[in-house]
Amino acid sequence: MEENEIITIWKSYNRMLYDSLILNRKNTEEITRMKVQTFLASTKPLKIFTILVGIAWVAFVDILIINLFPIASPFFLISAGIQVLLTKMAIGIYLYQLILIHQADISEPILATQEKIARLQSSTLWVARLLFLQLPVWTTFYWNKGMLENGNLFLYILQIMVTGSFAVMAVWLFRNIRYDNRDKKWFRWIFAGKEWSPMIKSMDLLNQLEEYNKEATHEEDR
Amino acid sequence: MSLERNAESFLQVIEANKGIIYKVARSYCSSELNREDLIQEIILQLWLSFHKYNETYKLTTWMYRIALNVSISFYRKESRRDAINHPLPEGILFLNEDKAGEGWRAEVDQLYLFIQQLTAIDRAIILLYLEENSHQEIASILGLTMTNVATRVSRIKQQLKQKFSIL
Repeated sequence: MEENEIITIWKSYNRMLYDSLILNRKNTEEITRMKVQTFLASTKPLKIFTILVGIAWVAFVDILIINLFPIASPFFLISAGIQVLLTKMAIGIYLYQLILIHQADISEPILATQEKIARLQSSTLWVARLLFLQLPVWTTFYWNKGMLENGNLFLYILQIMVTGSFAVMAVWLFRNIRYDNRDKKWFRWIFAGKEWSPMIKSMDLLNQLEEYNKEATHEEDR
Repeated sequence: MSLERNAESFLQVIEANKGIIYKVARSYCSSELNREDLIQEIILQLWLSFHKYNETYKLTTWMYRIALNVSISFYRKESRRDAINHPLPEGILFLNEDKAGEGWRAEVDQLYLFIQQLTAIDRAIILLYLEENSHQEIASILGLTMTNVATRVSRIKQQLKQKFSIL
């Protein structure tokens, strides 16, 4: 089929729509009376709630570290310190998401808006990476001098194996949870479920947008 | 003359441009039920942005931007019903089947099928092209350069021709 034939089909389709497309005015009027937020702004309350819970947690652990500093075991202080640092980074990502929500305007050009929305959704992957990175400290915070001095060989080996495997797994996941691995079985297994699907599709879109930008730069250079 | 920003004026804008909303929604949603939800979401987001509409741009540019941005974001959602604010029990835009006839259907369905196989951004480009928007208008709606639009349009047209040729 030639280009002009495609255009002719489209024009006849337009004429048909003009004659037969009906707008339900009652339902449209109902929409103008709805008390709702824009679709991006509607995700704000949950993010703000998560940030507030995160800040409360960080404040609690920070106070604990400061107050117990003279008496607590170094294992607890270091583990809690790492955990709280990673939580602060995750809060930072949520704040970044709020900024993107604030900046994204759906009446702006498609590419710029979609890039913001896609970055917003795919940044959730960073939260997952940080979450996995803190796994090993949950196996070390309860250690103390007494356990080290009075423990037996079996306990030492068990502890080293558990902490070691958690540390290896955490670093491996932190390094490998990225878009390039989206088709790997383990990735699909971790990120199975409908709540992760928009994030994966966002990363696909970011890839497409990158292609467009590359193409535009290439054309400008020519 | 400046556009009044009340519900009545909004209804007139939607009535006059309902075809844009329908065609964008159909390009991103093959399922009729999901499409109804998408159409509702587009109209809702148009209403929420209506007071901010900048009259230095054409009304259709503003409509295309919102309709396309909502559709591209909407089609990423797995559960479409969850994605919209307050689903209405009935549709907003529908075809009067008596007037629509049958003759056009197969070819248009085929064309939509091919459009739906394109990437999200390419769908927007070809839709705007078929709607007889100039390269400059397409570039302004999408935020691309005109050269970029021209290259993409010719590539997509080629793809469509190939797809039709193997039918």
